[in-house]
Amino acid sequence: MRTGIAHRHKALFMTIGAVALVLIGAGAGAVILLSGAYSTAATKQHFGITYRILEQGLRFSVARYADKIVVPDLDRVANVKVGYACYRQYCQQCHGAPGVARDPLGRGQLPSPSSLSESARDWPEAHLFYVTAKGVRMSGMPAWEFRISTDGLWSTVAYLKAMPFLTKEEHRKLDTSATAESCPAPTTAPSYSRETTQVMFRQYACDNCHIIGGMVGPKTHIGPSLEKWRERRYIAGVLPNTHDNLVRWIVAPQEISAHTMMPDLDVIEPHAQHMARYLMTMDE
Amino acid sequence: MAGRMFRFIGLLLTSSWLVACIPGRDYEPRIIGGDPDQGREALARYECGVCHVIPGVPDAIGKTGPALDNYSRRSYVAGKFPNEPEVLVRWIADAPAMAPQTAMPAIAMSDKEARDMAAYLYESD
Repeated sequence: MRTGIAHRHKALFMTIGAVALVLIGAGAGAVILLSGAYSTAATKQHFGITYRILEQGLRFSVARYADKIVVPDLDRVANVKVGYACYRQYCQQCHGAPGVARDPLGRGQLPSPSSLSESARDWPEAHLFYVTAKGVRMSGMPAWEFRISTDGLWSTVAYLKAMPFLTKEEHRKLDTSATAESCPAPTTAPSYSRETTQVMFRQYACDNCHIIGGMVGPKTHIGPSLEKWRERRYIAGVLPNTHDNLVRWIVAPQEISAHTMMPDLDVIEPHAQHMARYLMTMDE
Repeated sequence: MAGRMFRFIGLLLTSSWLVACIPGRDYEPRIIGGDPDQGREALARYECGVCHVIPGVPDAIGKTGPALDNYSRRSYVAGKFPNEPEVLVRWIADAPAMAPQTAMPAIAMSDKEARDMAAYLYESD
């Protein structure tokens, strides 16, 4: 009986202690957040332990998600010259290349983009592919799968795998021989789903100007809200709101309206088809 | 118990949030020489609500044009021109003069009426 009561009291004290800890934590967090004490400046590095934890966390996460990726025969699908064309167009300004400095863009960021000679050598192909295709959230590393075709991504991986072993002279030769190459963009879209289409909206930065129903994003009023889009009669006040017109508009707004602030974002037609379908059906 | 605790934490956070002035939201386009109350009446009189949802204006539930809520926070008029008072006043009275393709018609009204309507749109949210 005595032990029973003691046991019950122990549970009570532990509960009170746990709740107090949560409260203190929430209170301290609120104070730090609301006072503005937490610096978001790109000149302020994490604490050492935070940095190491995040660095290792990235490796664990990439390893887990890249696990399902089947590496194709790179000799067959990949082309190092094409890979370098992609790298030169999209990667070099932040990551640099052997003997080539990164642009100022890649010097002012925190976390600072890696110099890839090391990671390209150490990381498995699937990991490099995953990080290139999907990017790294809150690091400044974009996802490239909406700019570079799958073969183009594998070519980029093939270039990365070759890069650490190239002399400066060999790299210069590769640069010259790849002058005429261009980086292949995707031409097809994955099959339709709301989730995939939301990724598309983000990948073309639509949600930076438009509030889009069903999505988490900034409460922005730069462009009109696209909630309840199906009820609209006109697109941008100039085109009757039909699915086909909406696709045309998303692909080339500047061609349709002389005055619109909405830029052409190089949305490929298959992606625009999904976006139009999403907007036309999201309230169902 | 736990529910009440969470509500307490929520209340604490919300109230401190309200007390803390959230910075960076102090820009509001100003309207010079417009009367918002008369603007609301003018918006109703000219039946702008046939095409637009306008908060606070009776029967303004049209879907032909965009909703006109949150207007002071909009970056652009009709997605085309910077949202500045003088621009909005011109647009309200004669949109096609600014963008010939627009579905919004020119409406014969006085400059004062257009100014009042703009004032109402900026002040209502």
